[in-house]
Amino acid sequence: MTSRQRNTGIIAFLAAFIIFILPFVFTFFMAVKSRQEAALFLFTWPSEWHFWSNLVEVVQARNYMLLLAYFNSTIITVGAVALLVIFGAMVGYVLQRRPSGWNKLIYAGVLMGLMVPPAVVPTIWVLQGLGLFKTIHGMILIQVAYGLAFSVLLYRSFIATIPRDLDEAAIIDGAKPWAIFFKVILPLLKPVTVTLILVQSIAIFNDFTNPLYYLPGRENVTVQLTLFNFQSQFQSQFNLLFMNILLVTIPPLIVFVIFNRQIVAGMTAGAVKG
Amino acid sequence: MTSVKLKSVKKSFGAVDIIKGIDLTIEDGEFCVFVGPSGCGKSTLLRIISGLEEATEGTIEIDGRDVTGEEPSKRGIAMVFQSYALYPHLTVRENVGFGLSLAKLPKDVIRQKVDAAAEALQLTHLLDRKPKALSGGQRQRVAIGRAMVRDPKVFLLDEPLSNLDAALRAQMRIELTDLHRKLGATMIYVTHDQVEAMTMADKIVVLNSGRIEQVGSPMDLYNNPVSPFVAGFIGSPKMNLYDGPVAAAQGCKTYGIRPEHVVLSATNGTWKGSVRHVEHLGADTVVYLVVPEMGEIVVRVSGDFKAAHGDILWASPVAGREFRFN
Ligand SMILES: Nc1ncnc2c1ncn2[C@@H]1O[C@H](COP(=O)(O)OP(=O)(O)OP(=O)(O)O)[C@@H](O)[C@H]1O
Ligand SMILES: [Mg+2]
Repeated sequence: MTSRQRNTGIIAFLAAFIIFILPFVFTFFMAVKSRQEAALFLFTWPSEWHFWSNLVEVVQARNYMLLLAYFNSTIITVGAVALLVIFGAMVGYVLQRRPSGWNKLIYAGVLMGLMVPPAVVPTIWVLQGLGLFKTIHGMILIQVAYGLAFSVLLYRSFIATIPRDLDEAAIIDGAKPWAIFFKVILPLLKPVTVTLILVQSIAIFNDFTNPLYYLPGRENVTVQLTLFNFQSQFQSQFNLLFMNILLVTIPPLIVFVIFNRQIVAGMTAGAVKG
Repeated sequence: MTSVKLKSVKKSFGAVDIIKGIDLTIEDGEFCVFVGPSGCGKSTLLRIISGLEEATEGTIEIDGRDVTGEEPSKRGIAMVFQSYALYPHLTVRENVGFGLSLAKLPKDVIRQKVDAAAEALQLTHLLDRKPKALSGGQRQRVAIGRAMVRDPKVFLLDEPLSNLDAALRAQMRIELTDLHRKLGATMIYVTHDQVEAMTMADKIVVLNSGRIEQVGSPMDLYNNPVSPFVAGFIGSPKMNLYDGPVAAAQGCKTYGIRPEHVVLSATNGTWKGSVRHVEHLGADTVVYLVVPEMGEIVVRVSGDFKAAHGDILWASPVAGREFRFN
């Protein structure tokens, strides 16, 4: 290791530490302090540890609203990500494998979905017309609509790297299109699927504005909205506010740790010669 | 009785005609080889027989049954791809049994069939591996195994050996011929390698830009080629072919003589030339002779023939072995 490499490494580590670790440590310290100590807003080691009592108080606040929020957010995230994976892969597959006159049109639609920013008021209007406003499944559909273009493009370009011979071998083996997709293609898409699950579930779980617009109502609260709702109540209780932040940050972190190792490319190695 | 009959089969991609009318009968149990230069439509024709590609015109009969509009899996065929096309996420066992499990056969039947195929192809110890942990030759055998378990009436093979090295290719040629003898199934084999065609085929079909140039047994094509194209394609080294004045002097449009049907002499003969290059292959020696009035002539002589660059030699054709094409 040259001194230059070492210096670069040290600088990169320091930058990452300052940007990612310090705020987290600060949040954690604030979350375990007593109310008076937190009010001082200093980056100091807590003099008393109130981890458990703060935790219990945040969870119990407003009639266990945080638990309801976890429940709602989980349903929205799991539902939306599942649909994004299935539909993204299916549309990507058809777009890549079946050239037809419609493909150009569909592709243009997908690109528009990626580039044109959604308008909130007309969307609410449509949702109300469909009876989906203020419903969890309406929220799921909104997240799917916002994320589908990205996942279709991601899948389409990856499917282009899977040799067509595999589809044809499956056809000869007697597979119907449905079976080709689910038994041959979808398993080979695992690296993309993992990436997509990671990126989208974190984005959807952390989404604040969309639930704010499309999912008002006490019983529809999501985890990011709990912060917003608690802010007024916890104004003088920064320790609880930060405990709430801590709890909201943890699930995406867990998802990341679980899936991070599984993002492996090269699943198609060995399919064809070489 | 599994014969394959093609009746005036044509195929166009858009405005481009690729297959321009093919009539062909492949008999039961025959090993039929399609040869031809790259891009002549061999793969396309094979894919039409398999049903992966639809013929623009004409009909295909397998086993006396018209299968023109039939799905590939209903035609009683199996195909081995040039790229092997093994499913990368499945083990060898699952790869071989994939078609059977799609057909919802009982598990023990599948197991039994896969084991039998693995036994025949010496794959038993590899059954739990994934394709990426196999060598080229082993992948090749898995691909053949996947075709075998379906008990097809017709095997279709598209250049199955082209990704293997020379030694393995020679070995697989013998193994495939053995397999054909053992199974007694009809096989259609695509290659652009004339050695594979000559060594394995019962019947060779020479294709040239979407048309059949000639059909016959290997020795038939060697002894009686109908056109300079076939003559040049079958046999190695290539037949010497001459147009223009050389052919006109012989009273034909194209004159041909095989390298092995020319004798060399230091003293007298038909054509006098100087040696440009000599290739010693051991058993044989190939001499490239430059003859002023006709250009270059390639001659194959026995391995102990002595010749060196710049030598002046006489070449003469063996009587009755010359070809005159009009
Ligand atoms: N899907 C397609 N669309 C348009 N043209 C095609 C298509 N498939 C094949 N062709 C053309 O048809 C011709 C014959 O192709 P084919 O693959 O049958 O050749 P081949 O004899 O198998 O050659 P090789 O020995 O290189 O494999 C080629 O000129 C190719 O460009
Ligand atoms: Mg080909």
